[in-house]
Amino acid sequence: MNQKNNLIIGLIIAGVVVMSVNVDADPRDFAEGLPNIGIMLKEITEVDSSLFVTAFWSMLETIEMAFIGTVVGVAIALPLSLLAARNLNNKFVYVPIRALLAAIRTFPSILWAILFVIIVGLGPFAGVLAIIMYTIGFIAKLQYEAIEAIDADPMDAVGAIGVSKIQLIRFVVLPESASHLLSQILYIFDYNIRQTSILGLVGAGGIGFYIINYIKFFEYGKAAVFMLVVLATVLIIEWVSVRVRDKYIVKSQRGMQIKS
Amino acid sequence: MQEQKGESSPSISSLSIVQMNGVSASYDSKEYVLKNIQMSISRGANYAIVGQSGSGKSTLLRLINGMMSPTKGKIMVDYNIPNPSDKKFKSLMHKIGYIPQNLGLIKNSTVLENVLIGALPRVSGFNSFFKKFSDSEIDNAKKILKQVGLQGKAERKVYMLSGGEKRRVAIARALVQKPEIILADEIVSELDHVTAREIMEVLAEAQATMKLTAIMVHHDLQLALEYADRVAVIKEGEKVLEIGVEGDKIVDFQSGNYTQTEILEMFTNESKE
Ligand SMILES: Nc1ncnc2c1ncn2[C@@H]1O[C@H](COP(=O)(O)OP(=O)(O)OP(=O)(O)O)[C@@H](O)[C@H]1O
Ligand SMILES: [Mg+2]
Repeated sequence: MNQKNNLIIGLIIAGVVVMSVNVDADPRDFAEGLPNIGIMLKEITEVDSSLFVTAFWSMLETIEMAFIGTVVGVAIALPLSLLAARNLNNKFVYVPIRALLAAIRTFPSILWAILFVIIVGLGPFAGVLAIIMYTIGFIAKLQYEAIEAIDADPMDAVGAIGVSKIQLIRFVVLPESASHLLSQILYIFDYNIRQTSILGLVGAGGIGFYIINYIKFFEYGKAAVFMLVVLATVLIIEWVSVRVRDKYIVKSQRGMQIKS
Repeated sequence: MQEQKGESSPSISSLSIVQMNGVSASYDSKEYVLKNIQMSISRGANYAIVGQSGSGKSTLLRLINGMMSPTKGKIMVDYNIPNPSDKKFKSLMHKIGYIPQNLGLIKNSTVLENVLIGALPRVSGFNSFFKKFSDSEIDNAKKILKQVGLQGKAERKVYMLSGGEKRRVAIARALVQKPEIILADEIVSELDHVTAREIMEVLAEAQATMKLTAIMVHHDLQLALEYADRVAVIKEGEKVLEIGVEGDKIVDFQSGNYTQTEILEMFTNESKE
């Protein structure tokens, strides 16, 4: 490590300290507040198991919302990513599309949810629309970056045959970026389940509605039931996506040996 | 195989399918990687290009199929100036089978899918979007797979193939184009002698039956002389020799006659790595 690196690291640390003072982030407050965690933990253990059925059905609604949002969002994101890739289009196409996608990404899903609650009213539909918007912004960006990173050799070899752009996309771009796309879809589905879980905060459906309300009224034990169901769901999805990844992604790359 | 020997003086451009006059090329405008290339390749010829690593051989092929434009000079390929955005040249590109140095295969697609890419110019946009090919196209592709020695491997994913098999896939893709010109970039380099010769035989046979012009880059002069009727030697971007075998003599088409050993000595001195 040289002088310059040391200086940069020093400046970053100094920056964190100064900014912490600015935003009033005082570690002493954290230490004083620690006993509150104990109180919360104690109440959480007083789980109200009669609520599991409600929790299950609201989780199912959440999963359905996330699923629809992911599928529709990806279906819209994919063509947009093809239009945003700089190696497939000229700048009169990709510049406006990229600007649009950047605009979509400026809103976190919770803001989209508020917007759609205003437009379509309270309920899961607003949540689904919010998830769609978030998925479009996120998947389209990652996917156009993946398309731009495609190996130039097959693009060149097939391009030299003089095929049309549709054919180039279908026979080179899609197969060469498919495993990347699958990986992104698994990630965003997992992420969408978690973020759909909080959309209930603004009345956009899903399990979050219950969690927020019980927490509001300090009924941590009841909220805990719902959070446990979310946790279990996320773990199951994680397990499934590891399986899918191993089958379709890792193997096709280089036949990696997985130690089990 | 048609013999072009003896009748191919560079000035008879009407007979040549590829004609280069004073062609120079560069990637970053600083330095020419090809300098003042004069080249005339006759229709139906079996032309080889040899030279050291970095001498500009791959660049030369990319000039011919229009993937790159010369900085100076003029290239004509079948009376067209190579330019992929020109409609007329584009239809010529359908007939140029290009096998790049690293093959450019789609690793996650099957052998058959890769090979059918060569048939895409004959398939409508709609059908190709659904990867729908006519039975006769599929039969033809399978026939060519057999011809290159890949029978029974049609449904294999390309990433599972050996290096030699991958090269056969790239050859098959080019042959499915029903090409008039084949551009092959070091298609047998780094293979064992037996496999290299097998693959060269496949190409030689295809060339004879399909009456196509072959322009192949080789690392090995010996191999080039064995299969080609003309060999251009490129050194640091310049064409320093153009030779061919006539009887038991190597003829230098630029500057008189040499014996085979003289040329080989000249070459090894020049291109010892
Ligand atoms: N995309 C590129 N950008 C910049 N320079 C390049 C590029 N491709 C090739 N070059 C340079 O152009 C010169 C000729 O390259 P080329 O690939 O034509 O050589 P070659 O004779 O095919 O070599 P090899 O036998 O190693 O394949 C080299 O000096 C190389 O560094
Ligand atoms: Mg090369």
